Amino acid sequence: MGSKRTSSSVRRVWTVLGVVLTAIIAFSSGYLVASFTQNEAVGFSVVDDYGRTVTLDGIPDRIVSIAPTPTEILYSIGAGSLLVGVDNYSDFPEEARLLTKVGDAFELNTEMIIALKPDLVVCGDLVPRQLIQLGETQGIPYVILADRTVEAVFKTIRLAGIITGHVDEADQLAANLSERVNALTAKTLADGVSKPKVLVETWSWGTSISTFGPGSYGDDVIALAGGTNIAKYAASEYPMVESEFVIAQNPDVVVYTMSSTTKDAIIGRSGWENVTAVQQDHVYSIPDDLISRYGARLIDGLEQLAVTIHPELFP
Amino acid sequence: MKFEVRNLSYSFGDKKVLRNISFEAADGEFLGLIGPNGSGKTTLLRCMTNYLETPEDRILINGKPLQSLMPMELARTFAVVPQSSSTDFVFSAYDIVMMGRIPHMASRIAGHRKSDVEIVRAAMEKTDTLRFASRPFFALSGGERQRVIIARAIAQQPQGLLLDEPTVYLDINGQFEIMDLIKKLNREEGISVVAVLHDVNMAARYCDRIALLSQGHLEAIGEPKEVLTPEIIRSVYGVDVVVRKDPFTNAIYVMPHSTVTVAHTHGTRVHLLCGGGTGGPVMKALLDEGFSVSSGVLNVLDSDYQNAEDLHIATVAEAPFAPIGDSAHTENLKLINSSSAVIISPFPVGPGNLKNLEAAKSAVKTGKKVFVLPPEAGKGIDFVGGKADATVKELIRSGAIQVDSIEDLLVRLSRGGGG
Amino acid sequence: MLRVGPLSASTTESMGTEYQRIVRRRILILSVLPIVLFVTVIVGTFIGTTGPIGPGIRTATGEIQRISFEDAVDAILHGHGNWPFDYHAIFWTQRIPRVLLAVLVGASLACAGTAMQAVFRNPMADPFIVGVSSGASVGAVAATLSGLAAFAVVGTFLTPLLAFCTALLTVFVVYRLGTVKGKVYVDTLLLSGVAMAAFLGAIVSSLIYFARQEFHRVIFWLLGSLSMQSWTADAILALTVGVGVLVIFLYSRDLNALLLGEETAHNLGTDPEALKTIMLIVAAVMTSAAVAFTGVIGFIGLIIPHMMRIVVGADHRVLVPASTLAGAIFLVWADAIARTVISPNTLPVGIVTAMCGGPFFLYLLRRSRVEGEK
Repeated sequence: MGSKRTSSSVRRVWTVLGVVLTAIIAFSSGYLVASFTQNEAVGFSVVDDYGRTVTLDGIPDRIVSIAPTPTEILYSIGAGSLLVGVDNYSDFPEEARLLTKVGDAFELNTEMIIALKPDLVVCGDLVPRQLIQLGETQGIPYVILADRTVEAVFKTIRLAGIITGHVDEADQLAANLSERVNALTAKTLADGVSKPKVLVETWSWGTSISTFGPGSYGDDVIALAGGTNIAKYAASEYPMVESEFVIAQNPDVVVYTMSSTTKDAIIGRSGWENVTAVQQDHVYSIPDDLISRYGARLIDGLEQLAVTIHPELFP
Repeated sequence: MKFEVRNLSYSFGDKKVLRNISFEAADGEFLGLIGPNGSGKTTLLRCMTNYLETPEDRILINGKPLQSLMPMELARTFAVVPQSSSTDFVFSAYDIVMMGRIPHMASRIAGHRKSDVEIVRAAMEKTDTLRFASRPFFALSGGERQRVIIARAIAQQPQGLLLDEPTVYLDINGQFEIMDLIKKLNREEGISVVAVLHDVNMAARYCDRIALLSQGHLEAIGEPKEVLTPEIIRSVYGVDVVVRKDPFTNAIYVMPHSTVTVAHTHGTRVHLLCGGGTGGPVMKALLDEGFSVSSGVLNVLDSDYQNAEDLHIATVAEAPFAPIGDSAHTENLKLINSSSAVIISPFPVGPGNLKNLEAAKSAVKTGKKVFVLPPEAGKGIDFVGGKADATVKELIRSGAIQVDSIEDLLVRLSRGGGG
Repeated sequence: MLRVGPLSASTTESMGTEYQRIVRRRILILSVLPIVLFVTVIVGTFIGTTGPIGPGIRTATGEIQRISFEDAVDAILHGHGNWPFDYHAIFWTQRIPRVLLAVLVGASLACAGTAMQAVFRNPMADPFIVGVSSGASVGAVAATLSGLAAFAVVGTFLTPLLAFCTALLTVFVVYRLGTVKGKVYVDTLLLSGVAMAAFLGAIVSSLIYFARQEFHRVIFWLLGSLSMQSWTADAILALTVGVGVLVIFLYSRDLNALLLGEETAHNLGTDPEALKTIMLIVAAVMTSAAVAFTGVIGFIGLIIPHMMRIVVGADHRVLVPASTLAGAIFLVWADAIARTVISPNTLPVGIVTAMCGGPFFLYLLRRSRVEGEK
């Protein structure tokens, strides 16, 4: 008699579970259908840097940026006035620091974002889950502005122009930057110009060095600046490599970000004495932002890097 | 190894565990420490091993303060055997015994010398543990582990052994094995022993002297027969016991006789005709019911005489090996007359005590209530050629009541068996 | 049936042949381990991104360049040669000091772990149990995230120095919490260690949170890495490990007795209180020094002693040297893997120790269980 009772109560549990599961499936599929149909709205659509199609009701009046480079990009095309909120790390240009802070990509202050009533959020590679949720629950769209190559920087700037209505400024800026790059590469990528081996170091821990690997914009910048990235065949975009690797590749030029270390530290590294860059005193620093922000300033960085690598081309 | 304990007190925080204890354990002596739970025996032992810190000069070993000796020196003077030992780590029995050589190692890096191995081997032989020397310690039984620990103690080559209830987790043959072994070491090798024992009779059997602790006080110390008296045991343990002598070892042993607290005695006295040990259970049952009891006539060598003595029952006695004499018989009749009822236990009747049945006959004649308990099945009580059986039959014909059992007897007595 | 036995063969003739088998096995293992370590060091020196044992590097032209065995030997033994890059520097500034660091750190963690498991009579004890890892983390993370570590001279040693200090400070606090009137209560000590770890862990988390955009800087520390290698580090650790292992080994017998319980250890003539204190100090210094350079490399201090206990038994006179050697061997191999598995990228070695070691230990455990039940 006991087993009969057990089996009937087990059956009851399964029934309840089945009902609940069906309800969940029904609700979510209905919701998904609804949200799809909702996207057939007015306004215009853009494809952002991650290939996402984002539909906007119109040119946004109020934009929140949750990463420093998108902030920079918007200001550089004159759309800075549209910004109502930025993240903690948006520090360029100076005006950006005065805007309301909404947290950062690690820890978004979603309440603040909602309070600011933005029409659009722009972000970089880091897309926090909270941002996705904001999109679903509040209907706030977000556009990802991120690039992997210098060429893509122009594309991103143009995209920023489209979504802010500053198309002309964006195109102008992109054209200017493109011109600068072309002028540069005319010299650096000309026939017969050497391609010195370059290490661009972003930070280090003991003998482990962080640099730019294949597929990163840093790699592209080095190539355009007329250098050969010694980490060109590393295993990832932002690899940590050992000093052994650096010694073996024997770079002609070492460039390090200003905040990460000092020239003396690099020159003094054990085993680096016979590295060409150290022997010939070709160890240079570069401001962090010029190599870590992929907006207009990246071109500044590219130019500085080119001068560093090919001083003979830029007397 | 000689211990002197002088005015030792010990407290755990506020709790006083030992109060002003003083005694000596002489060299070569087997001293037992006994007492109820919580009396402080283990604490006392721990003070003696210097595991618990005590003020200087309270405990002297071989005349010197305990604290003046280095730990290694102490370990060479005495060895400690705890209640039980276990370890999760994989050590063989041999490894465990070899640890007993630690106090004798020349230096930290010294290896085992041949002499160490020989001592360990001899110790294990003495304790019959050689055969599992390479088995892991945790895989041995409780008794085997204790033997290994004792082997380790022996390997320490101590002057004395301190044991803390060494047999409490052993079964009965294990217990005697261990105690016999310890006694042997004490006798044959002159190793002093101070042992905390939970079993009073074991202490009586093995110890030269016993120290009895109660609530931190040293209640008594001396030979077993001096310490284990019914009065002392009642005052310390709260149990009524009789003290007997083990017929084979001559050691004394205590036997609790009454676990019942008599609610009230109702003053009714019954007289018990008994003998040959048959009266013991009846006496106890009657006393537990609250009756007061007298008995007779009992020969002083009769075990029922001893029983009556132990239970403080008034008895008419007769000299060893003598038949019941006239004066004894008269005394018996007096007691019968002044009692409310007479009870006859199924005692063996011989020519010497036939008169007890005669006394019963006169009791019946005077109208006294007489109860007859049946003998055990198959056990005859008649050793006078049929006279006893006949007398009993006559008694019953004349009005004596045959009961089925002691319980039956008590029932009938309570139904107003007095008269 | 599981059989164990004593150490020295020559003294056990009277005990029967079953001992001799076990004793011979222990002697064999103890004499093989140093050889294995020696071979491991040699091989480990030859393993690396640039070879001879390794994938080699891809130069700008796309060709693969690898150091040949002859050239490697040449580079190690002689200073100069006609090489495309500085072979000598590769071996003498990268490989050899790093392999030596692995030897020293692996040895100290395993040895300290053995001692801690005896002191706490707890198989889950490891050398970090009294707060070394959490304490060191505070110092290392603070030094790194403050940016001070970026400055030369001061910077290179700031992180290890601060980590070492905070580690020892933490151990001191935990020790004081667990000691009453000179008596060390290991249970209290354990709980204090856990509490401190929780508290300091919160501090470390806060530091990381407030400098979270720089979080990547401390990830190597937190996961454990041998990248902070240098001859100076090797020299310092050679001292701490040398002294530490020696002291712990000298107390092997006491540790054996301690495993049977503090009271028994006392009754056998040892001083459990002094023993616990000395072991804690020595293990703490040894571990703190190691952790100061490498961060928290987990697993070695916990599992290596267990593994060796299964293999050679619980007698510390054998176990301590065995664990020490095994720990060294293990870390050299783990680091060799960390340096080459995704070459030219490098992994923090702590990832490798955890991933490789766990399954192997489970296998060994299962085998010993099955054997024990027979």
